[in-house]
Amino acid sequence: MKVMKRGNAIEVKNMTKVFNVYFDKANTLKEKLLFWKRGNKEVRTVLKDINVEIKKGETVALIGTNGSGKSTLLKLMTKIIYPTKGTVQTKGKLTSLLELGAGFHPDFSGRENIYFNASIFGLSKKEIDKRLDDIIAFSELEEFIDNPVRTYSSGMYMRLAFSVAINVDADILLIDEILAVGDQHFQDKCFKKLESLRDSNKTIVIVTHSLESVKKLCNRAIWIKDGIVKEDGNTKDVIEKYLKECQ
Amino acid sequence: MGLVNDLRHYREFLKSNVKKDIRGKYKGSFLGVLWSFINPLLSVLVYAIVFPYIMRIKVENYLIYLITGIIPWTFFTSSINMGLISVLSNADIIKKVYFPRIILPISTVTSCLVNFLISCLIIVLFCLGSGLGISCQILWLPLIAIIQYIMLLGFTFILSAIEMYMRDIEHIVNFILSMAFYVTPILYTPDIFPEKLAWVLKVNPMAYLVNAYRSIFFYQKMPDLIGLGVVSIFSIFLFMIGYLIFEKLQKGFAEEV
Repeated sequence: MKVMKRGNAIEVKNMTKVFNVYFDKANTLKEKLLFWKRGNKEVRTVLKDINVEIKKGETVALIGTNGSGKSTLLKLMTKIIYPTKGTVQTKGKLTSLLELGAGFHPDFSGRENIYFNASIFGLSKKEIDKRLDDIIAFSELEEFIDNPVRTYSSGMYMRLAFSVAINVDADILLIDEILAVGDQHFQDKCFKKLESLRDSNKTIVIVTHSLESVKKLCNRAIWIKDGIVKEDGNTKDVIEKYLKECQ
Repeated sequence: MGLVNDLRHYREFLKSNVKKDIRGKYKGSFLGVLWSFINPLLSVLVYAIVFPYIMRIKVENYLIYLITGIIPWTFFTSSINMGLISVLSNADIIKKVYFPRIILPISTVTSCLVNFLISCLIIVLFCLGSGLGISCQILWLPLIAIIQYIMLLGFTFILSAIEMYMRDIEHIVNFILSMAFYVTPILYTPDIFPEKLAWVLKVNPMAYLVNAYRSIFFYQKMPDLIGLGVVSIFSIFLFMIGYLIFEKLQKGFAEEV
């Protein structure tokens, strides 16, 4: 692993990601032995030779049409999946809000789930204890916090999950299309929280289609088209070009 | 080393996973966690009733002899069986969040270890109840249990990683486990094992471990230290190989499920 440049939070270098898309996946030994020659697999290059550097404290939006590879790039930064070629490096504590409520257990209470969910993000008991009140207050679920999560409405569920993830105090925050959590009141609150995180020198990468909030929140946008970086720069310029092509 | 660092950072995750394993396994059943102790006792009961009749076993206190073999064996099989699917059964969180995947097999084997240590109380109760008593040799227990724990971690690292790519491994492992049960001196004493096949017991690490547990509980003698030494070297070796294999294969987990 090469050392990262100073002041960089995320470095993606000459990175290519290839997915093997199986039409009928051989999961057993028999199938693997019998059908190893069968061409039921399509090799799809999702990202081609990507080079991106994100500095500490930057708020970056990844934009592009469906299937352009922006979510895959986010997953690579999280280390849920790994590049086929090239490298992806990050520096500092990282939290991803790809899908909310990962590992929520429906039978456990909201409080227990806060502990469980936050521990997946790598927090110790003491650290969670310290944040517990903030998390509950942010979710506005004080009344229901000791009820099992299965009794929650889907909005309450998302609010709890978002509150945990946002209160982890990560240096890098990766967010995938979840700005639409809960009702208008809660959405505004999330947005404000993101703004305050941005202003406190956290690195944020957002994948979203809501260009209006991108304009307000981010100072840089990266437009990904068919697996390559099409444009990278000032949010307004990139969005303008993106919209022009979409029409 | 990466593993130590991961364990330190994610200790709370490990802890809550172990708790969830122990609490969640028998959720919905009336006797709950008690089943993890009743189950091995019931299989002891089956063998204790059946075997003295169909095999000429002349062991005094055969019931205790069985218990001191079957409870460590249950630790072995339940760790392997549950450890094998430990990663696969968490497929939904693997796709969504990053955390060191190796925590999953570690927490499964750890919850089995906790279960085993509690089950050892049952062994002690039976030893006392049968008039056999206990001796200070029982102090060897933590050492033997830790050797077995390390060996099981090694096995489950390898198996749980392979399971992600090849689901067959479950059936193969099932077969091997049921074979291994009969080439481990659980139901019988090692001396009735056919001489021609004596080497099988020599290469079976579980045979050494079961003999060691039996020494300290049943015979109340010092365990065979040379044998234990060999098994611990094997276990540490297996653990390291397993760790390397797991780390190599874990990069593809999220794409395989």
